[in-house]
Amino acid sequence: MPAIVVDNLRKTFTAKRKSAGLAGSLKAMVRPDRTTVEAVQGLSFRMDDGELLGFIGPNGAGKSTTIKILTGILYPTSGTAEVLGFVPWRERRKLAYHIGTVFGQRSQLWPHLPAIDTLALFGKIYELDHRTVRRRIALLSEAFEITHLLETPVRKLSLGQRMRCEVAASLLHQPRLILLDEPSIGLDPVAKQRIRDMIIRMNAEEGVGVLLTSHDAGDIEALCKRVIIVNHGQIVYDDRVSALKRRYLTVKDVGVRFVEPIAGDVDIPGAEVVKVGGGGYGLKLRFDTTVTPAAELLAHIGALGGVEDVTISDPSLEDVIRVIYEQAAAGEAIRPADSSWPSVEPEGSEGAP
Amino acid sequence: MSVGAAVERRVGGSQVRRSAAKYAAVVRTQLAHGLAYPGDLIMRSLTILIFMWVFIHLWRSTYAATGQTSVRGLTLNNTLWYLVLAESITLSKPRVATAIAQAVRDGSVAYQLSKPYSFLGYQAAVTVGDALVRGAVTVLLGGALVAVMVGPPPSMLGWPPAFAAVIAGWLIDFCMATLIGLMAFVVEDVAAFEWIYSKLILVLGGVLLPLDFLPDGFRRVAEALPFAYTTWAPARLFVSPDPALFVRLFGIQLAWLAGLALLVAIVHRQCTARLAVNGG
Repeated sequence: MPAIVVDNLRKTFTAKRKSAGLAGSLKAMVRPDRTTVEAVQGLSFRMDDGELLGFIGPNGAGKSTTIKILTGILYPTSGTAEVLGFVPWRERRKLAYHIGTVFGQRSQLWPHLPAIDTLALFGKIYELDHRTVRRRIALLSEAFEITHLLETPVRKLSLGQRMRCEVAASLLHQPRLILLDEPSIGLDPVAKQRIRDMIIRMNAEEGVGVLLTSHDAGDIEALCKRVIIVNHGQIVYDDRVSALKRRYLTVKDVGVRFVEPIAGDVDIPGAEVVKVGGGGYGLKLRFDTTVTPAAELLAHIGALGGVEDVTISDPSLEDVIRVIYEQAAAGEAIRPADSSWPSVEPEGSEGAP
Repeated sequence: MSVGAAVERRVGGSQVRRSAAKYAAVVRTQLAHGLAYPGDLIMRSLTILIFMWVFIHLWRSTYAATGQTSVRGLTLNNTLWYLVLAESITLSKPRVATAIAQAVRDGSVAYQLSKPYSFLGYQAAVTVGDALVRGAVTVLLGGALVAVMVGPPPSMLGWPPAFAAVIAGWLIDFCMATLIGLMAFVVEDVAAFEWIYSKLILVLGGVLLPLDFLPDGFRRVAEALPFAYTTWAPARLFVSPDPALFVRLFGIQLAWLAGLALLVAIVHRQCTARLAVNGG
């Protein structure tokens, strides 16, 4: 049975608009101007039991609205959805026993109490017996490395420590699915990695499905096998993360350091010269592997002069996603165009200009 | 250690019993939360001392001016102990309307709605837990001042009926304040409605003075409205622990509570259907 089935889901909000200034305020009092916002526009997708699915998009794309519909918090305007066999907005409380939620910008832990108190309360709320609560707390404390933090008031924990407690709390009742809405927001790279490692472990050991929204492409890359990209309430990409890379990471950045300065204008067929620098010792190029084979490009580079060092790197997944957003916003076909690729520093290009 | 073992099944018992255990746990957690910073709790409760100091001098002068030891059945001691309880009930209750409106506006309602409990039941349990902690401290402080300056409470028998009526009163207040808070789904700011409500409680709820002292016509109107049963009824039962009076006033409290709870449930249902959580 799929964990989530969504079919033609729509959600519209009515928002007030007001012109600037006092006149606008007075006009809004007499005749308020309302506008309809289509937050979700006919989304359809499926998610398998135990799957790690990324659900990403720019601000206002409709991803949080979708998650809130899937947890039963919001009613859709039209369309259907089933989560673990439940219609969320009609069976919110029944569904809540089987899912966990983490909203990165909010806290479910009581701030002035140690996390152990909230975990004990959740045990009651999810109707678990004492023995089970104790056992789950022991297991999760070990898995999330929070044993030493459980008796510290939550407000005295660092953000990274609190997020580990938040995710552990969402797993107390051993849900079949957790919905993580930007769980790594504001965390430093080390804290992010710890959270990611723990989510992967819980997925592997407990089979819990994960629906993850994040603005951090690193989260998606590290956690998810499949990603859905939404923009303006519509799906613009739904495939494996590896396919996303294969399909869009055909553009490579090249950094070259020559033994001696190269002279004159550089013109290499099938490549775009980004920069000639370092007094003529350095060169940055960008090329599309579907147009120019790498070997051919390297031959052209070798013809320019003696090469001391060369690096070839992919643009980051973040850049790929940004281009997809931009193309979707411009109404273009979802296919990278060479000219639209952002300027990126090639990874590991020390020594290159 | 593996975390792969399946969770054992849930606790047994009827649905009502399991639900009661949930909300009782929320009350207990809120009690612990309220006691986390005792110094802060006591400092915030000191307001009762100022209020009672003023009331003691005001009512001493009033009783002295009338030349009577009892006004409409209440002695000076009764009136001041009435006010200890009435002020404590009011000072200790959390600002439910503001809290709910804030939760709707900032989106934190999302967490509360994603757990297997009633959002309103959870909020009610938090309200009672919070008010119990603050109320206990406020009654102790205010009561100590009145006991020293005026005398001990009229009867220790007043505590049990008053306690039951105080809880019912907080829940009635919770329902009315929740109706105001839920207006946040419709209007931008509920502060004006909350202000009006607090003034109604002040006058018609018997916080300023016992309703018994109002002119008969005004008193009858006040007693017919729910505001009186948030504050006046429990405070009056404390100073007049009469079984017949308890049955009448507590019965009216339960009737108001049932009616208002039904109304809140209907309004809440309508509101959640049009909920637009921030951040979505």
